[in-house]
Amino acid sequence: MSGVALRRTLQALVVLLGVSVATFALVHLVPGDPVRLALGTRFDQATYDALRERAGLDQPLLAQYLSWIGHAVTGDLGVSFRSGDPVTALILERLPATLSLALASILVALLIAIPLGTASALRPRSLVDGFGTVVSQIGISVPEFWMGIMLILVFAGTLGWFPASGYVPLGEDPAGWLRSLVLPAVTTGLVSGSVLTRFTRSSVLEALGAEHVRTARAKGLGPRAVLRGHVLRNAMLPLVTVTGVQLAYLLSGVVVVEIVFAWPGLGQLALQSVQARDYPVLQGAVLLFAFVFLLLNLAVDLLYSKLDPRIAS
Amino acid sequence: MSEQQPGTTDRLKRRSLLATLAAAPLAPAVLSACSTGESVDTGDDGGTGGGAGGFVAAISARPDQYDPHKTTAYASFQVLENVYDTLVVPGADDLSMQPSLATDWETSDDELTWTFTLRDGVTFHDGSPFTAEDVVFSYRRIIDQDLANSSRFATVAEVSAPDPTHVVVSLTSPTPNLLSRLGGFKGMAILPRTVDEASLTTAAVGTGPFRLESTSADEISLKRFDGYWGEAPRVGGLTFRVVPEPAAALTALTGGQVQWTDNVPPQQVEKLSGDDSVELGRVASVDYWYLAMNCAKAPFDQVDVRRAVAFALDREAVTEAAKFDTARVNQTAIPEASEWYHDYAPFTTDVDRARQLLAGAGVGGPLTMGLMVTSEYPETVTAAQVVASQLEPLGITVDIQTEDFATWLDRQGRGDFDAFVLGWLGNIDPADFYEDQHRTGGSNNYQKYSNPVTDDLLDRAKVEPDQAARKALYDRAAEQIVDDVSYLYLYNPDAVQAWEPGITGYEVRADKAVNFDTVTLPS
Repeated sequence: MSGVALRRTLQALVVLLGVSVATFALVHLVPGDPVRLALGTRFDQATYDALRERAGLDQPLLAQYLSWIGHAVTGDLGVSFRSGDPVTALILERLPATLSLALASILVALLIAIPLGTASALRPRSLVDGFGTVVSQIGISVPEFWMGIMLILVFAGTLGWFPASGYVPLGEDPAGWLRSLVLPAVTTGLVSGSVLTRFTRSSVLEALGAEHVRTARAKGLGPRAVLRGHVLRNAMLPLVTVTGVQLAYLLSGVVVVEIVFAWPGLGQLALQSVQARDYPVLQGAVLLFAFVFLLLNLAVDLLYSKLDPRIAS
Repeated sequence: MSEQQPGTTDRLKRRSLLATLAAAPLAPAVLSACSTGESVDTGDDGGTGGGAGGFVAAISARPDQYDPHKTTAYASFQVLENVYDTLVVPGADDLSMQPSLATDWETSDDELTWTFTLRDGVTFHDGSPFTAEDVVFSYRRIIDQDLANSSRFATVAEVSAPDPTHVVVSLTSPTPNLLSRLGGFKGMAILPRTVDEASLTTAAVGTGPFRLESTSADEISLKRFDGYWGEAPRVGGLTFRVVPEPAAALTALTGGQVQWTDNVPPQQVEKLSGDDSVELGRVASVDYWYLAMNCAKAPFDQVDVRRAVAFALDREAVTEAAKFDTARVNQTAIPEASEWYHDYAPFTTDVDRARQLLAGAGVGGPLTMGLMVTSEYPETVTAAQVVASQLEPLGITVDIQTEDFATWLDRQGRGDFDAFVLGWLGNIDPADFYEDQHRTGGSNNYQKYSNPVTDDLLDRAKVEPDQAARKALYDRAAEQIVDDVSYLYLYNPDAVQAWEPGITGYEVRADKAVNFDTVTLPS
């Protein structure tokens, strides 16, 4: 087991190194000059040169990369070109908002997907199945920004139940935190939920068709016992994987929803750093996303071997 | 394997119904009620609105940093406007320079030495007294480190403090607009000489009516500064909340969670004008938007080709599409409300004349013009679409190139464009409007326009101490610039802001500076 763990860790490190090179290259290949952006349109050459030098952007690219990765290994991701804040601090500052939204969205998504997907699979081409299909089609095809704005107009505007936007830290006001979380979580949860609903339906259908289910039925087990004992557990296996992927995606920030709801998460940070060509922040954020993704991947694999004895090494 | 139990699916089904249908309606019953329209206390909707007497402003973008000498972001200045002071400051009505940290000033006969007398009894937010040394330190910092606004000191030879209450600025050439250079905006703020410069990106030490209390990714909190030299602010605190989405900002305003916003899309203005739950403020701003053609690239290097484009355009239609009814068409840069305004509008929409000009320039066949616009300013994209349709009858095919702003600036800087649309914001003195953009080799003359006549007029205007004579020179320069179509001017947009009805002591300014020190909440 320790051998496996070691191999997996080494693999992850190699992937991270690859990601770091690719990120650095991409970020610096994209046209656009952070110095010009930071200075706006009114500036002179001396100002431009001074700022470029201060940021170390006048160094050769290889030197810049080595300096960045050298510091990154020690946990120092540098400082934002735009604000001068440490990148690590900027990311940590936004983690609570992102975690809150990601977990709440996954919760909403699963609360929709598991019952609706299962019900659809149990009665294919029934009214329930049709309803499930329509709901997930809507969730997949309606743009998030539109959905978000509609929810704001109805539930924050007309009904006044929730704040129109903004994030309240949990430590500051738990009730306020929950209230600020509902609308953005429903917006993203509906989208993720739609994906997961289709997925649940197909994996439950597949599990229902398995040999051992026929056997169990033949033994005279009732439909519920069959479902609980033989179908759901098998059907949930692939769902764990997909949920893990969805969670990783949500943890890297949901840009559109964060903009609509003024949610200070990582998606906003990433977007702002792209727009400002804030190289250090962008590189740091991508590296972190890759790290989170690898970690979740590992967690899903471990969970898998727990759930499916055939995989356990 | 397992006992028969109440059906899992049934329970799940019930939970899913709860989740999908009833979660929202239940939530308000479960949670405490939302804040009402009463906005006296903003503490109850989770914001740190400075408690009672707090005032929450929803701004469209996040400040990038808080060092006034380094930032160029409007969002940063919205906050810093209330935190820092300058020696002089633009007056609210006509933007003429008024006393602030300096109470008066004298100019030597040769126009090369300005002596400022400083205000007594001013303290910084850290308690240290304000003296002439702080002015010297602040100006030297901008000059010596080549910071963002160092070009404003282009004619400054020396800044000195002969005594604690006087500052002397020595010049290399007469600079009649020195006051607007030193006080045009908070980028020329006075910091204490003892300040820890590294901390300025997130903290602030000013002399203004509010102290910067705390900053986070989405909220900036200011507190009233009790040691302020001017009249004490009426509100105990200010909170700036970053709300990029206009619908969310306006909903928060009508719902009483915020008291003020500048996130008002032009297409909403008409509707909001008739809405009692919102008070709308509009004023013609000092910004202007324009189209520029590349004078270093054929066939746009020919003045007649540029003039043909100017005669083909219907500016009213472009402006209407880009800004609805929230901008005023102008064929020069300076808006009508300014004392420097010059009424000059030689172009009418005349397609025949445009055709003749093109033919005379030897541009017979069809012509393609790349028009570079940016998604950062959607109005440029809209304007370009109208321009494209208006140039079609001339046989000019407009290739609209929408870039993100970083790429856009990159291409502009390299001269890699046929034409582009953009605006200049926050101008006060005519030099701001015309100098760097149209002087041969000017630092912002990206269109590479060059005319000795214009250069001569601008050079003379720059050093002319008599205001009437100076205006006459700029008027003539403006006419030359318009005739040559160095810029094809389109419109001056309005500054549009909205706030809660009953709020007093606030006015929209032409330079879009937001001063909340005199604002009073409805009782």
